[in-house]
Amino acid sequence: MAEFRAEVFQNEYLSDGATDVHAVVSITCTGAGSAGERSGDVSEVIIIDTSGSMDMPSSKIAAARRAAKVALDEIVDGAWFAVLSGHTIAQMVYPEHPGLAKMSAVTRAEAKEAAGKVRSGGATAIGAWIAAATALFEQAPAGQRHAILLTDGKIEGEEPGALDAALAAATGKFQCDCRGIGSDWVVDELRTISTALLGTVDIVAKAEDLEADFEQMMKTAMSRGVADARLRLWAPQGSTVQFVRQVAPQVDDVTPRAVQVSPLVVEFPTGAWSDESRDYHVAVRVPVAPVGNERLAARVELVVDDQVLAKALVKAIWTGDANLTTRIDPAVAHYTGQAQLADVIQRGLAAKTAGDDRTATVLLGEAAKLAHQSGNEDTTRLLNKVVDVVDVEAGTVRLKREVERSDEMALDTRSTKTTRIKREP
Amino acid sequence: MSNVSDRDVPDSDVLCPACAAPIHVGDAFCEACGSTLDAARSSGDATVETPTLGASGTTAQPAAQPGAQELGGRTHLLAPSAARVEVCHVCGAPIADDGFCSQCGQRARTRREHWTETPAAWVGGVCDKGIVHARNEDAMALDAAGDDFAVLVVCDGVTTAPDSDRASLAASKAACAQLMAVARPTGSFAARLTAWQAALGAACATANAEAVAVARSLGDPREPPSCTFVAAVVDHDLVAAAWCGDSRAYWIADDPAGSVELSLDHSLGTEMLAAGFTREQAEADPTFHTITRWLGADSIDPTPEFRTMAVDAPGWVLVVSDGMWNYASPADDLRRLIEEAAADGATGPTQIAESLAAFANGCGGHDNITVALARRDPQLP
Repeated sequence: MAEFRAEVFQNEYLSDGATDVHAVVSITCTGAGSAGERSGDVSEVIIIDTSGSMDMPSSKIAAARRAAKVALDEIVDGAWFAVLSGHTIAQMVYPEHPGLAKMSAVTRAEAKEAAGKVRSGGATAIGAWIAAATALFEQAPAGQRHAILLTDGKIEGEEPGALDAALAAATGKFQCDCRGIGSDWVVDELRTISTALLGTVDIVAKAEDLEADFEQMMKTAMSRGVADARLRLWAPQGSTVQFVRQVAPQVDDVTPRAVQVSPLVVEFPTGAWSDESRDYHVAVRVPVAPVGNERLAARVELVVDDQVLAKALVKAIWTGDANLTTRIDPAVAHYTGQAQLADVIQRGLAAKTAGDDRTATVLLGEAAKLAHQSGNEDTTRLLNKVVDVVDVEAGTVRLKREVERSDEMALDTRSTKTTRIKREP
Repeated sequence: MSNVSDRDVPDSDVLCPACAAPIHVGDAFCEACGSTLDAARSSGDATVETPTLGASGTTAQPAAQPGAQELGGRTHLLAPSAARVEVCHVCGAPIADDGFCSQCGQRARTRREHWTETPAAWVGGVCDKGIVHARNEDAMALDAAGDDFAVLVVCDGVTTAPDSDRASLAASKAACAQLMAVARPTGSFAARLTAWQAALGAACATANAEAVAVARSLGDPREPPSCTFVAAVVDHDLVAAAWCGDSRAYWIADDPAGSVELSLDHSLGTEMLAAGFTREQAEADPTFHTITRWLGADSIDPTPEFRTMAVDAPGWVLVVSDGMWNYASPADDLRRLIEEAAADGATGPTQIAESLAAFANGCGGHDNITVALARRDPQLP
């Protein structure tokens, strides 16, 4: 049985009259097992972009065929699965008729053969693909439902609202990891999908890297032995939940996904879990209490099948001792910085794209400083491909003249990846 | 006399899970180390709690009958144990399993932070952490026999000395038990007065020895735990008080003209009053509370002073710590608070004591608050 552990990092002391409580709640899952072991059925849908651009160059469509095959190899026997080819519409690759097949040696071989034959042609209508996947998952048995979506381009050939409508219908039905191949796709489009569908987003700049990426993605999906967990948050009467933000392994503001379950309790979907840790930054504004009082600012629980598997208590203790109240918890400080880092990178790149180099320089300079201070080496490396750092302590940078578009996109998509705080031994 | 037949018998088989010291069935926390004892917690009572072996130790029996109980001729006011739901002292909502309020999040008070004792219908008190202090270093021990004998002991732990909460609890319990065990003296009022002063002096010495023993058990810290001491013995028409420090005993007569401040603080404040300052001037001085006598290993003079009076009119024996009298020092202010509490529907000494403590908390609760009351009414048969 999977076990969850919840740990709180916070400075619980508030000065007289203070109301804002910040805490990082770290949730760790162990013994998750593998997909389908205990958590009901597993359903997987692989969506391959087969629009006309996938043939330009043809190495992309070839890589997509190979990647689909290795992903199929990772799906466990007995899982329900389908392969879709996406262009102006979504088309069944395997099985032939709309529905899911049960994975076996026979169906695996058939599906791989079919995936090896996909041809490109037509537009990129991702909303239609999501809708088709949703229809397939609606026929799937209860359990873990996961899709991989690959595209190389921006959405064309469907109504502007099609994606939003498709996402609204898909939310809560399945999780979706998104990959963009090449550099002609739009980071915001895929990020919108992966965020709504509790998945990841990343760039695969080089076609030859796609196979390994798909293999890893499907391996991860198969290691998720906990099909569906929710983060439950109780906050006291009269309080306001200011935000709940996943801060590790990546920044994701989950606040808008709150589902009110009772007057003082909201829940956030967190999708499936493998053996992993996720950190959440919780900010609650509580009614003030007199000095000397100790109250809960939040109860944070990890809930699977309506069972509380882990619980953390976020506290507020009012005191007149300034030595206690002025200290900021290192985890809260670190992740506040990491969230800022993601924010200034995304805004900086948007300004750069809009031609506002002045703003871009300031924001990306701030990013270089924050990345350096927090020891986020991956982000520093990605930033260095977009800017020349003049003075990292001061956050002074110059925009590079020649920047690979894919480097900018990599910085954008990976801006939300955070480093974990180094814990005191 | 020592009518202690219904006191819990110490059970040497029961040991504190934290420090392995012997504990008594019904104890809310360990006398030796102060740990909260789950057994008492699970079988204790929401409205009548006691950390002692006092008469209400019967709350430890899960089968305790709800409502008023006749035990050895004494009335114990117990809330229904079976239906006990722990509620938040701030908002009244149920306390969740995690020990915090299900609505406002307030941490539930531990038994050491707030408890009441009601050894008889006419004797009761509350010991409360107050608001500002992190711990409740006050302690009380109350007991009664029949309808005309009671012992009220209050000790206020010195906050600046660590572990004073343990010293105050040990001191008050030992003194109370010792006084309850004294054979009630007979003879003339003067003879009884003399006997009770001797007994109170001995009880204070025992209390001091307990406080010193706590220091010993802690390896004689440089700042040894220490506490004040005040005890009142109600013996029919006689009230004898002894004190060491600035915890007080009052006689609060129903007749506004009849009240008496039995004790006189051992504090710089008293010295200032003696030097000619007004009470207002003296109490405004930050050194007012600096005590000149206390119990504990570093005490210079742990001997008590005595005051005995004859009671011939209805009223209350009131024993309080400074967390209470800080907000109502003159006897007449306290009399009005008692009157108001009764007017607001408080029935019995424990509820009235709770009302007084609530008043002190309403004023800021800057210190621990202990209020113990014994009702005397010579006109009643």
